[in-house]
Amino acid sequence: MLGKIALGVTMLASQTLWAQEIVFNQKASLEQVYKKAVEADGLLSMNDLNVEFGYVLYQSEIVTQSESEELELENVRDYAAVYVDGKLQGRMTDNNKKIAIKTNPGKYLLQIYVENIGRITYGPEITDNSKGLFGEVTLDGNEIENWKMVPLNIRKYPINELVFEDRSEAETPGFYKGTFELGTVKNNYLDISGWGMGEVWINGKYVGSYWEEEKQRSILIPSEYLVQGESEIVIFELKNNQQKTMKLSQTPVFK
Amino acid sequence: MNLYKNLKHLLLMLFLMQAYALKAQTVSLDLSGKWKFQTDVMDFRRGSLSPRYNHVLQEEIQLPGITDDKQIGYKVPYQYIDRLTRKYEYMGPAWYQRDIEIPAAWKGKKIFMYFERTHWLSSIYVDTKEVSSIDYISVPHNHDLTAFVKPGKTHRITVCIDNRFQYKTHKWNHAHTEFTQINWNGILGEMKLMAIDPVYVEDLQVYPNIEDKSIKVRLQVNNETKKQFKGKVSFTITGANYKLKNEVAVVSTDTVSFVEANILLGKNAQLWDEFNPNVYQINVQLNTSDGKENYQHEKAATFGLREVKQGKNHVLLNNRPIHLRGNVENAVFPKTGYAPVDDASWERIMLLMKDYGMNHLRFHSWCPPKAAFRMADKHGIYFEVEMPMWGKDAEPDEDRYNFFRREIKAILKEYGNHPSFVLYCNGNEITGNFDFIEELTAEGIKLDPRHLFSGSTARTRVKSDQYYVSQQTNKGPVKVYEGLPNTDWDRSTESDVDVPVISHESGQRCIYPNFEEIKKYANSPVEARNFEVFRDMLQKNGMLDQANDFFRASGALTVLEYKAVIEALLRSSKSAGFQLLSINDFPGQGYAPVGILDPFWDSKGLVTPEKFREFCAPTVALLRYEKSSYFNTEIFRGKAEVYNFSNAAIKNAKLKWWLTDANGKVLQRGNLKSQSIANDKVSPVGEFSIALKNVAVSQKLTVHLSVNDQIKNSWDIWVYPSHQNLMQSTPEVLYTSVYDDVAKKQLAQGKSVVLYPSPTDVKGCKSIFHNHFWNPIMFAWAPMTIGNLVHNDRPMFKDFPTSYHTDWQWWDILNNAKVIEMQDTPPQLRPFIQVIDSYDNNQKLGIGFEAKVNGGKLLVLAVDTKTDLDKRPATQQLLYSIDHYVKSDKFSPQVQVEETFIQSFLTK
Repeated sequence: MLGKIALGVTMLASQTLWAQEIVFNQKASLEQVYKKAVEADGLLSMNDLNVEFGYVLYQSEIVTQSESEELELENVRDYAAVYVDGKLQGRMTDNNKKIAIKTNPGKYLLQIYVENIGRITYGPEITDNSKGLFGEVTLDGNEIENWKMVPLNIRKYPINELVFEDRSEAETPGFYKGTFELGTVKNNYLDISGWGMGEVWINGKYVGSYWEEEKQRSILIPSEYLVQGESEIVIFELKNNQQKTMKLSQTPVFK
Repeated sequence: MNLYKNLKHLLLMLFLMQAYALKAQTVSLDLSGKWKFQTDVMDFRRGSLSPRYNHVLQEEIQLPGITDDKQIGYKVPYQYIDRLTRKYEYMGPAWYQRDIEIPAAWKGKKIFMYFERTHWLSSIYVDTKEVSSIDYISVPHNHDLTAFVKPGKTHRITVCIDNRFQYKTHKWNHAHTEFTQINWNGILGEMKLMAIDPVYVEDLQVYPNIEDKSIKVRLQVNNETKKQFKGKVSFTITGANYKLKNEVAVVSTDTVSFVEANILLGKNAQLWDEFNPNVYQINVQLNTSDGKENYQHEKAATFGLREVKQGKNHVLLNNRPIHLRGNVENAVFPKTGYAPVDDASWERIMLLMKDYGMNHLRFHSWCPPKAAFRMADKHGIYFEVEMPMWGKDAEPDEDRYNFFRREIKAILKEYGNHPSFVLYCNGNEITGNFDFIEELTAEGIKLDPRHLFSGSTARTRVKSDQYYVSQQTNKGPVKVYEGLPNTDWDRSTESDVDVPVISHESGQRCIYPNFEEIKKYANSPVEARNFEVFRDMLQKNGMLDQANDFFRASGALTVLEYKAVIEALLRSSKSAGFQLLSINDFPGQGYAPVGILDPFWDSKGLVTPEKFREFCAPTVALLRYEKSSYFNTEIFRGKAEVYNFSNAAIKNAKLKWWLTDANGKVLQRGNLKSQSIANDKVSPVGEFSIALKNVAVSQKLTVHLSVNDQIKNSWDIWVYPSHQNLMQSTPEVLYTSVYDDVAKKQLAQGKSVVLYPSPTDVKGCKSIFHNHFWNPIMFAWAPMTIGNLVHNDRPMFKDFPTSYHTDWQWWDILNNAKVIEMQDTPPQLRPFIQVIDSYDNNQKLGIGFEAKVNGGKLLVLAVDTKTDLDKRPATQQLLYSIDHYVKSDKFSPQVQVEETFIQSFLTK
């Protein structure tokens, strides 16, 4: 009886150590990484905005007449998170270019955060290399015009200069910060299960990107990026899934 | 199982052999030669009543061969732009027929009809009845006819070969694409009728264990006697100076039994790798008896003692990291229209790989025939093979899924013994259901531990991946498509994930087509009619005389890009390797002449194998440096590294560096500390610097690095004096950025004008250093140009050292320039910096030209001469050289252009 209990305690302890939970309780607003905005009547692709890869915020004002209206994009390369007045409406890809916008009739700010991390299909499907949003965007069939397009400086922004605050319940994309402790420094895998799409820095160094559509659910953190004691982790998350935590794993994680 | 014991067995065997000699073993009838033939474009014969009447087919065809050999099918009147044009297209069922007497002596035997390679459904009719159908793409078709033919009787055998797509697989798959090898109809390689005793070895697999130098031999023995059989399996293993015999007893009543034997090969057995490709042959003789009849069957296989494992960042071969220097092989065989099945053709390719310092071939969306494996075994080349799978082939389609489920097993069974078969991947850039991709990958790992497995190149990762070929990982890009004028960078960090990462389809730099190749297609089933279109267009545009120059200049650029690309990937110590796309041209997908070899694998004369091996070989001297163009007040700093993935560490290596001028004269030299250089890694070996202050005249210099005077590599740098007060107008020469009244007046007075508009004021596309990626027909996006031809013998280059092609000193010039469209100028006008247009457009383009305008002399240079000019020594020097020229009496443009032309390319 006694032996069993002891065993149970040991297992619990090792499990805790094995899957350390990292709590992200700080957030930095995205406005800090806005680059110079471009305004135009119609959409400009990332190519036209001189953005080779990375993220662009497309925003415009919309007026809704009913409680549910259909937002339709003509081209999405490669991934978009749609927000209305800071509230996530859903995600869109080139295979899923329609979404319902649910609001009380009124005037709103439509924000579409679009990702292109250079997933160029050098294959038969694509002989057109335009990225971002282009063509028309319609709301219940009416074209949305007067766009403001803001390239986001995610990958090259000096991460340690971001100003973080205690995290609120806001659903908008942004940077999140947390810390974790390590007794011994060795290779670890960061388990990103549950998060949407984004990028990761450990102790100020870029370590990789993730996307929930992929089977791969972890990013290798090489030991040379880690320190004994406390390490800091910063996440940029495009599609806010309201996740609070990530875990470390000793093995790669796949779904 | 020691040798002495084996010898005893041998003696016993000899005695037994006499008894068995009475009974014939495997016998075969060669089926090559003339066959009766009939096309079936209506696809109705199979569904009609015709087979019931057992008609004699009326035409004749030679087999092995393909319908193209006999010019069967649609005579193509077109000049396909995006690929070579097949002269005669045929896709549909085709019928081949022969009356064959089955020898009476074959009574009681299993009878098979064997085709080494066909496309892709083969069906056999015996007399009036269809009896067997097989639809493998990657392996031989072996039809079991035992139940349908009668020994002693002559049967009318009619074979239907159907090269239509049997499943909805991607039409670009190299196993059957019109883009490279054509989607042929025919039978290739060995074709025979075989008689085999009814107790026979269906499958022979050899699993090496390098730790104790043993092999596990696994046999599948089929017994069709319905009786118990007893007997022996004798193994004979031979290699260079090696022979071993062994045997085990067998007894079984089952129709299928498995025999496993562990055989120690002994201390003298040699491991297999790229440096020591020791191949062994195993011969298995099965001698059995059911108490009444005696049976014999033999099967042979080649194998190597080698083990493949997944390392941290590299593939491990025999527990040592290997680095893959590879080429993407896309079934490019325009001479025959099909991938060869003979040893000599494949041996040529393996020797070419060795010649160019490579050790790896990735067979992109196809699996080559046995001869390729045999020759790779022999010469030590590591293969990655794939199924015909690409793009949406993993989207749900149960028929297609089942085809792939069969195909992977067939590939592993047929080729699994070959030591060269190191990597397996399902296919290329797959999209769809990755649970299916995971299923196949996990199944492969379970079936065959002799290879590493991967789900898909360059797409979603799966759990069972043991390596990953991609342009990017979740840590960033691992692709290298082009070089830079600096070399202190690599792709190590991005390659460091949970599995070894191989850089996908590196290079892909387009060269202007060599129209001389047109004549090489005279006896091929395909023709370069696209080249004829391109050539005619070039002629119409008045530049046919420049075709060869365009080819040479863009070709030279591709060579220096490939040197930079390959070196970057060799510097990437955490990369498992690269796959160049490709050493030979790809004749489809828009036609991509990206190779230093043409589609026939013949050299284009752009680089010698010796020169190529300086940067692509098992041991390469590498140098990291900041830039290629220097002021003579600067210091060149080099960080030397040695990439060593050879068969040994280099003890007490002497490391020398030296600097030469264009005439080869040594200007400076020095040594790095002598040291031992480890094997299986990239090692920093020291740094050196060279003050360039003694270089008074602008010139190209070469930095050399050598290891023990044997391994040598070199890099060109350019050194220039700095210049102030460039572009100063004089009464005779006006420098202006706008074509205004002052400029016009200057010209009207018969004087000289240098017009250097800001690139933003010039119409036309942006200039960039690199030649187009892959080809401008498939990827019709910027730059749509394929390098530049420099008219370096013209006097404006007198003080600017340059070759006829652009090199790294041109980097800041070309990346800060605009391309002027000049097709409307007189044909005699050739811009001195001539941009080579896409070959499906062939317009005259330039960045700099000179002309007579309105009685004056004009030189135009569409290069940014303002931004950061103090950091652009080469641009400064070009301006200096031009300044000297325009202020000398040599400035004498010969060709007259209208003023309207000057205005046509300016925005204001």
